[in-house]
Amino acid sequence: MTMNSSPDPALMPGAFAPIAREQSVHRLSRPSLSYWQDAWFRLKANRRAILSLWIIIAMLLFTVLGPLFWRVDPAAQDLQQISSPPGANRSVVIVEPYRPWAEAPAAPSEPGLDVAAPPTTQQVRLVWTPMPGAADYRVYRNIVPVKQGGALGVPLGTSGSADVTHYEDRMDLKPGVAFYSVLALDANGAALPAVFTRRIEVANAITLAEAKARAMVKADDGLGVGDQIQYRLHPLGTDYLGRDMLARLMQGARVSLFIGIVAPTIFVLFGVLYGSMAGFLGGRIDQVMMRFADFVIALPFLLFMILFKIAFGIGPGESGILPMIVAMVILLWPATARLVRGQILQVREEAYVNAARLLGARTNYLVLRHMIPNTFGVILVTLTFAIPSAIFTEAFLSFIGMGVAPPTASWGSMSNDGIKSMLISPHELFLPALMISITVLAFNLLGDGLRDALDAKMRSRE
Amino acid sequence: MWRYTLTRLLQGIITIWFIATATFLAMHAVPGNPLAGDKAMTAEIQANLEAKYGLDKPVSQQYLIYMGNLMRGDLGISYTQKNREVNDIIREHFPVSATLGIIAIIFAALGGVLFGALTALYRNKWPDTVIMLMVIVGISVPSFVIAAFAQLALVRINGALGFSLLPVAGWGTVAHMIVPSLVLGLGTMAYLTRLMRSSMLEIVNSDYIRTANAKGLPATRIFTHHQLRNAILPVVTVLGPAIAAITTGGFVVELVFAIPGLGRYFVQAVQQLDYTVIMGTTVFFGAFLVLMVIAVDLLYGWIDPRVRLN
Amino acid sequence: MTGPHEKPLLDVNDLAVEFDTYGGTVKAVRGVSFSVEAGKTLAIVGESGCGKSVTVQALMGLVPMPPGRLTAGTAKLRGHDILRTTQIDGRDFRGSEIGMIFQDPMTSLNPTMTIGRQIAETLEVHLGWSRKQSFARAIELLELARIPEAEQRARQYPFEFSGGMLQRAMIAMAIACEPAILIADEPTTALDVTIQAQLLDLMADMQARNGTAIILITHDLGVVARMADKVAVMYAGQVVEMGSVDDIFYRSAHPYTVGLRAAMPSNDSSARHRLLPIEGSPPDLFAPPSGCAYAARCPHAMRICTEVEPPAFQTGPGHYGRCWLHHEGVAGAAETLRGMQPALRTEPGDAAGPNREEKA
Repeated sequence: MTMNSSPDPALMPGAFAPIAREQSVHRLSRPSLSYWQDAWFRLKANRRAILSLWIIIAMLLFTVLGPLFWRVDPAAQDLQQISSPPGANRSVVIVEPYRPWAEAPAAPSEPGLDVAAPPTTQQVRLVWTPMPGAADYRVYRNIVPVKQGGALGVPLGTSGSADVTHYEDRMDLKPGVAFYSVLALDANGAALPAVFTRRIEVANAITLAEAKARAMVKADDGLGVGDQIQYRLHPLGTDYLGRDMLARLMQGARVSLFIGIVAPTIFVLFGVLYGSMAGFLGGRIDQVMMRFADFVIALPFLLFMILFKIAFGIGPGESGILPMIVAMVILLWPATARLVRGQILQVREEAYVNAARLLGARTNYLVLRHMIPNTFGVILVTLTFAIPSAIFTEAFLSFIGMGVAPPTASWGSMSNDGIKSMLISPHELFLPALMISITVLAFNLLGDGLRDALDAKMRSRE
Repeated sequence: MWRYTLTRLLQGIITIWFIATATFLAMHAVPGNPLAGDKAMTAEIQANLEAKYGLDKPVSQQYLIYMGNLMRGDLGISYTQKNREVNDIIREHFPVSATLGIIAIIFAALGGVLFGALTALYRNKWPDTVIMLMVIVGISVPSFVIAAFAQLALVRINGALGFSLLPVAGWGTVAHMIVPSLVLGLGTMAYLTRLMRSSMLEIVNSDYIRTANAKGLPATRIFTHHQLRNAILPVVTVLGPAIAAITTGGFVVELVFAIPGLGRYFVQAVQQLDYTVIMGTTVFFGAFLVLMVIAVDLLYGWIDPRVRLN
Repeated sequence: MTGPHEKPLLDVNDLAVEFDTYGGTVKAVRGVSFSVEAGKTLAIVGESGCGKSVTVQALMGLVPMPPGRLTAGTAKLRGHDILRTTQIDGRDFRGSEIGMIFQDPMTSLNPTMTIGRQIAETLEVHLGWSRKQSFARAIELLELARIPEAEQRARQYPFEFSGGMLQRAMIAMAIACEPAILIADEPTTALDVTIQAQLLDLMADMQARNGTAIILITHDLGVVARMADKVAVMYAGQVVEMGSVDDIFYRSAHPYTVGLRAAMPSNDSSARHRLLPIEGSPPDLFAPPSGCAYAARCPHAMRICTEVEPPAFQTGPGHYGRCWLHHEGVAGAAETLRGMQPALRTEPGDAAGPNREEKA
């Protein structure tokens, strides 16, 4: 220890005068917080948890208020737009009603393949210059560019003879780009090396009569052949039956979130009742009750979910929201019961509870003031984590065909539908899967945040 | 330890009995016995079923017959397929599921421990961020979606390469096993990674790591001898539920990848309402899971001296 | 006590440690200096949160950084600065030069490793011994620590030991490499009083056998009286008084030391001794006061105390106190200081334990 160089205190007038104690009494500068206030501050500091909370609120608004703004029947089919992805081209040109191609068209001026009329989904009329040595021609269509010597795509048909150098394609035409090829065949029907390929943009087409029938044009619109009109808007595209994805996602959200929130709430409540009863009663009753809970825990959960659904007489392909909730409640309560019982036993032994009892606190007071506040955090966290796993369970069951069945939509059953057409239109799987993932993630992160905020052990460490 | 093992086994047997009984009761709770259902079936199968299960007898007797059969290891005969025993079905399809599941659980456990340790070591640095992103995907995306997108990715990759890097579906070679088992293990791996990470972080701040530092042990030795071993303990305790998750997750993965496992067969049986196969496989899977949980408990006891010696 | 020309084994000068928390920066240790001589015991006393544990943990490189931060100071072990590296001549001084035991033996040992292995690994790492050789030595060390059936005990795990036995094992582990200094951070706080005495005896024995210096962290003045040669009293991250045991007990140079003593039970039956708590609570180390940290609780506080931090005044050979009362300008300071001393205690060395004579 060395003398430090402070200013000579003798220079300060009255430096050594005694002072009253009150003057210098130290005050705690930080306000004290209650348990829940403190937890809330901690939660607010956790950006991920708060973002998750907002996502959950947005999801609930989407479910509840969404249908008020987006008034589209989730079961209505738009047959013009089947499996159309989000942001697909909706423009459609009004065309004359189809008339067979009577007269032979003129050959293109330059050697190669050309179209004889504007290509639309009504028909694509191809015409080409004759190829030397050809006895017949075969026409192909492909959805990807044709490479040199590569596959030509779907064989559509042959023109019939060397003289016919035109072909009309009306087979399941889709708007967008198609790659047509014409291959020369010899007299035996074998392929010759000569081939023409052309990239053709196929426009969406509709006849006036059909457009009127679908209420896309009104009689007094003054629209006629050649005019562009728009198909109905599907912001998130349509599914394999032409149903609006956005409307179905809203309907699915209702089912998925309903099951995901109601089932856990019931089984957590039941678990709390069962667990606290066992914890309070103690002794032999407690042992018997918990033994039974152990058995129920040992049941393979998903197998018994399926078994129960069958037992309820709900076969595959039949909708069963209620049986699913009942089965979840029957099978999932023991984990919460165990947890709550443990908490109750632990709190009961805490010194502060004994202290309160010594001070003459009544059971009601003990339960309300000590037991419930001290187990509520754990229960809240359990509930938050139970919701995503219930949503997963619903999705899993719907996926294997044991959950919600058509025409009711749930995110799980939509994923199940989407998986079949995954290769052609991935959005049908991607969108409901994304909804499930975002919701599950949000609940998980919120649960993490809640757990951290309520964990007294962490608090003392800081 | 022997006493403990014996007790656990005895508990396991009682649990299996409970599962079997619950299964029997669930199937008989349906108004009108599903085993005597009105489904169109050949007279031959009907006759077989009646002979086997004593369907004309009262429920209590049926239960005794059912339990008797179970005791002899006989799980019954198929409800929809002539002369097909549930035992045969299991014998044929379970090895496939087991192979898939074992690879998946090994992948999940090793990956979980490794990645969890890495994230704790590189806390808040890029390996942590990358791995935790993967964990978030593993936890929040349902396994059938991961399976579907993995398959989609495989199709695209094979298409882009112009040859088949890995098969898109099916079963038979090692190449067939890689993607499905990765997909199957991913969710569990994510869960274990998270657990391992938090357990590692908790132990870093523990008193005995401080003691190890105060002894002047090199960081690598503290990591391997003191931190890792203790951090793995909580991971081992959840291996039982993890095996259950992988077993049921196997159902959808087998479905998506067209793998002829017992899970896929079970889902088919459910869709065809093949009651006996459903009951048989439920009891079988239930018993299997109970035994697995016991095995994990014993493994835990072997690793943790506090359990082993008490 | 300490001869003036003896070169200290460990010399700590102006050590300062801060912690960044989300509530602000905590200045946990604020310029602590002390020295330790071979074969002697330095006790650091003070209430919870005064920075005594952080001080020794900083010496041992055990303060987690971040959130901890070393802002100033040096600590020289035989001339090597050990604050910024744990290496001396290419090897870790921890465990070899300085051994340490902790407050809670139940949690301070690895639960999944046998006691013997935990002792032996220190020898393996520092001395390069074989596993077998180290384990054999570990058994000897357990015997030295008076653990019966050491051979079997070495093969047991921490949970099979009682708290007192574990702390013995900790001592055996800390002295395995015969370090020059043994730091004991509240070694007996978590244990029974009866076991306390046994452990203190054991530590004194080890000290006598190896000539080890001991730094003893405690808040128990009884332990101080029994064990220490020199005492440092810490308050709010500073050493407020430093001196011999007798200086501290009979010639206190700081009102805080007096307060601590008054709060300690005494077996002096002649006095109507009432335990007097120190009113108030220690200052907030997020924003330490500008003057004396104790001013707010001090019955003798003067105006200057709240404004200027007191320097260390020397009040006797090797005895310092950070209190303005020692300034020559204070009127009536002598009376105040005399009034602070225990009037009823007659003999210095009264409170000393049985080992005291051996050491003298």
